[in-house]
Amino acid sequence: MDKLFDNLMSFVQEGEIEASITEAKRAVEEDGIDAVEYLQSVLAPVMNNLGDQFSRMEIFLPDLMVAAEAADGIRDELMQYIEVASDAQKGKVVIGTISGDNHDIGKKMVATLLGVNGYEILDLGTDVDPMAFVNAVKRDKVDVVAMSSLLSTSMPFVSETIQYLVAMGLRDQVKVVVGGGPVNPEWAEEIGADGYGHDAKQAVDLLDRLLA
Amino acid sequence: MKNHSRLLKILRKTETGEIMEDKVFDKLVTATVKELVKKYDIKYNKEDAINMDDDLADRIFEAALELNTRVGMYCISTHRRMEFTREEILDALKWAPDHVVYGAGLDQCTVRSREPESTIPVINVGSPYGTPINEEYYSKIMESYAQEPEIDTIYGGTFNEVYGVKPKTHSPWEILMTWREIELTYTAIQRANRPGLAIGTGANSVSEVGSLTTTSFGGFRQTDWHQTCFISELKTDYANLMRMTHEVKSGLIIHDFYNPIYGGLAGGSEGLALIATAGVMMLPVVYLSTTHSMAPAHPFFNSNTAPEIVWSISAAQQALTRNTHILTTVMTSPSGGPLTECLLYECAAIATMASVSGASRIDGVRSAVGVEVNHCTGLESKFNAECANAALGMSRKQANEIIKQCEERYVEFLGKQPIGKPFQEVYDLTLMEPIKEWQDMYLKVKDEVRKMGMPF
Ligand code: B12
Repeated sequence: MDKLFDNLMSFVQEGEIEASITEAKRAVEEDGIDAVEYLQSVLAPVMNNLGDQFSRMEIFLPDLMVAAEAADGIRDELMQYIEVASDAQKGKVVIGTISGDNHDIGKKMVATLLGVNGYEILDLGTDVDPMAFVNAVKRDKVDVVAMSSLLSTSMPFVSETIQYLVAMGLRDQVKVVVGGGPVNPEWAEEIGADGYGHDAKQAVDLLDRLLA
Repeated sequence: MKNHSRLLKILRKTETGEIMEDKVFDKLVTATVKELVKKYDIKYNKEDAINMDDDLADRIFEAALELNTRVGMYCISTHRRMEFTREEILDALKWAPDHVVYGAGLDQCTVRSREPESTIPVINVGSPYGTPINEEYYSKIMESYAQEPEIDTIYGGTFNEVYGVKPKTHSPWEILMTWREIELTYTAIQRANRPGLAIGTGANSVSEVGSLTTTSFGGFRQTDWHQTCFISELKTDYANLMRMTHEVKSGLIIHDFYNPIYGGLAGGSEGLALIATAGVMMLPVVYLSTTHSMAPAHPFFNSNTAPEIVWSISAAQQALTRNTHILTTVMTSPSGGPLTECLLYECAAIATMASVSGASRIDGVRSAVGVEVNHCTGLESKFNAECANAALGMSRKQANEIIKQCEERYVEFLGKQPIGKPFQEVYDLTLMEPIKEWQDMYLKVKDEVRKMGMPF
């Protein structure tokens, strides 16, 4: 496994997305590694390692974006070898920056790191209407609503989204998590969110905990 | 201003450029920055606090010009990429103003073009820069900036609540709160006996609506300056273009800013220096603006005082001030808050770096990264201005030594949220003076910085 880890890591670090996917396929076909095993024991540790490097600012967002793309590609490719739906995907997350707010860098980092860590991401972008989150819960059957707010004047819309979910009887179907500059854990609790994350790494830990 | 005749050309680009998904544009930015950092041999030397290499500054400028002609700008509202030729950019820079007068009467001041190590005075802004503020303290906090003689112009904070409501952006509340900003800021400059002091406007206008209404009848004045901004990285949208169009049609002074992210699409220090230069270069080209700020942010600290960012800003400023006459400004955006030494050392580092790197205007101070309610006071802005003024004409070599020593005093606190205390706990609200503890801390740090070689 160490060798497979090193192989994949070096391709991802070089930004070789196609080669990363080919390497995963090779490992399954030639080395006879079980596809699920590969996802869990090679891909996941590589991505965790990159996530840690990112939280120490040893690598940057572009490197993480490449890693996320490689991880997606590998997951898609290996699906053909996996018979029953496995737990390769940890859950479906709708994420976005709330109404009136264009700050998207932190949200992108959170989305990318969640993607790297095996979550399926539906990114609605910025300036997202509360109803768009509600609709995602209704139509896309997401497990988590993740809202980013960087402005004290966009925070009220986050609270509104939760109020809408409650009013429409949807609140129990999803976990709601929040984050962003002026947001803090006390406020998250006050508005009835399930959790708060201070940074992208915490966001992953939070979701892992909430969906466990 | 002659450059305003280009308004239609700019707006047309937002309607006719190539249609592109923003993700594709982002990738273009990342790949081109990476390529150009290598091609122009842009290197960050950790040993130095600021850039002292003129040739490197000039290479960064050339690289930024190439980046702008190859990548252009993205209009989020129309999903189009706006393209610019080298000639177009250079021509716009040629016609951009090299000075501007703010304010009226005795409170008038002139922002002038500068270059690295220039002795030309800088203009100092006093401001909580968007920090959330409770309505009851708003006017007093603004007065704490306006009353400092080192401060040449002021800019507001954001209401944490107004009329008992947590205001929402792009709603009637935004209009109300931006008008409230005018009332309370005017009260502040009156109380400080500086009625002509220029105000940077629309701190409470997150969307365009607050700005548009308050720069119409009976609102802010033509002697004030008015904001609009780019969205990182290298993007604009209708909200900002509406503001700009209105400001051009009303003959207002436009100030704009670009805050790229360290570790974001442009990568580390080298890419940050390049993209900050490129973005600020495009501000006058796209927004027909007069003064242009940069305050790159750290993705985990949110401040701009980490050594790897201080260097990037210095290099970007020098690239711009050596190669153009545009009026650049740098914001001090520290992690520390009032009643922390950390905050004051961060101010000294950024203000000194900006002053010797040729910035025309020093914008300070977004204390405690601008998110802690009422955590901002006039005293740190005064100190920021004192450092910027003392560093006039200083060599970059000398500044480098001072900044390195300041960094040693604050780096360990970044990321530990040293937010300090709110305004009402560190100022005497009747005398409108810092309490003794805060004043003593300021005097002590000033003395320490003097010992580092700062000619106060
Ligand atoms: C960069 C920046 C900008 C850029 C944004 C570019 C972009 N594409 O995002 C630009 C220049 C466009 C901008 C514009 C404005 N900005 Co601004 N901006 C910032 C700044 C300096 C840094 C934000 C940032 O990207 N940080 C880096 C990222 C990585 O951190 P982050 O977003 O916090 O995300 C991390 C965590 O919070 C967490 N997280 C984030 N989201 C989520 C979600 C979940 C679910 C979880 C679990 C975790 C999580 O994980 C992330 C990764 O670690 C902040 C300062 C600050 N202290 O935050 C001001 C700040 C947020 N901006 C502010 C303001 C006022 C504005 C403007 C209104 C300015 C103006 N007057 O025009 C406009 C608003 C435009 C709009 N409609 O949104 C204020 C808000 C103050 C307030 N009252 O709330 C701040 C605090 C600065 C200030 N005091 O002025 N800004």
